[in-house]
Amino acid sequence: MNQAKIDRSAMLDAKIEAILAGEEELIPSSGFLASVMERVQEEAVAPPPIPFPWKQAIPGILATTGVFAWGAVKLFRQGLPALNSPMLPLPHLPAALVVPVEQTGWVALALGVTLLSWLFSRRLAGRGGLL
Amino acid sequence: MNTFHPSAAQELDQADVARVLAGDVAAFEGIVRRWQAPLVNMAWRYSRDRGRAEEMAQEAFLRAWRGLAQWRRESSFSTWLLALAANVYRSELKRFPTQTLPLDAAPEPSGPASQHSELAEKLSGEAVRRAVLALPMRYREPVVLFYFHEMDVAAAAATMGLPEGTLKARLSRARALLRQRFPHLEEEHVNLKFSSQVEGKEAVR
Repeated sequence: MNQAKIDRSAMLDAKIEAILAGEEELIPSSGFLASVMERVQEEAVAPPPIPFPWKQAIPGILATTGVFAWGAVKLFRQGLPALNSPMLPLPHLPAALVVPVEQTGWVALALGVTLLSWLFSRRLAGRGGLL
Repeated sequence: MNTFHPSAAQELDQADVARVLAGDVAAFEGIVRRWQAPLVNMAWRYSRDRGRAEEMAQEAFLRAWRGLAQWRRESSFSTWLLALAANVYRSELKRFPTQTLPLDAAPEPSGPASQHSELAEKLSGEAVRRAVLALPMRYREPVVLFYFHEMDVAAAAATMGLPEGTLKARLSRARALLRQRFPHLEEEHVNLKFSSQVEGKEAVR
């Protein structure tokens, strides 16, 4: 009985094998070679992709990470006493305390950063041949 | 079936690769000419869609073109190219799977009652091939590559980047799944043979 089952499995396998091994060959269409070569030629003449400028970007990434880390530390330091107090104090910033000079300083800093990033991006674009 | 490369063709491949790497784009044509049939046929076995097979084979050639410098000559060019093509086909089919029925729903071959045994046999063959497409990918790919490589386990395993033992185990499981799906295939085959013999005898009379 068991032997018959094994024989049957072997016969089925042989049949499946014969079917799968006897697959007809497909002939590529006549234009296949030309179309592959056309795409290869296109790739060959295309300018290489602009690599990401890691060298220039690393200082910026480090600076940004530093700013965020500094901010996190500041937040953590300010947050700790607040957590210990029974009630969370509401932020109290009277307008009279805000010094106009300080405001001007922040605006100047923001403008400076914008200018620097604009110059930096122009420089990168110029190197990449885009300008 | 697939005219895989004797040493002369391997030398041609190596020479063409060297020329391409030296900047001769046209030399790639020799590689495409020699390998278009195997790559299209392999893609056909993965997708069973002629148009798509050519698209996938074209993509494989483009990847080969881009990555030609990465062929380290540790393995033969054919092994490298076929493994790269298998990767391309696998990821293409992941992105856009072929429309397949689940294995249980794959049509069973028509019975032995068929008058035209040759046609019935062709249909049962097609049903089995379609059922291979309905296998889970981990079993389908070993079957596709095993028969593509003319039942050479080592070549199929190299193309998949698997140990031979793993490939054999997956093949065995795939066969078991196909046996379950087509339990009457052998009987049909025998009946078909018998009926065609009878038809032949009657024709003689």
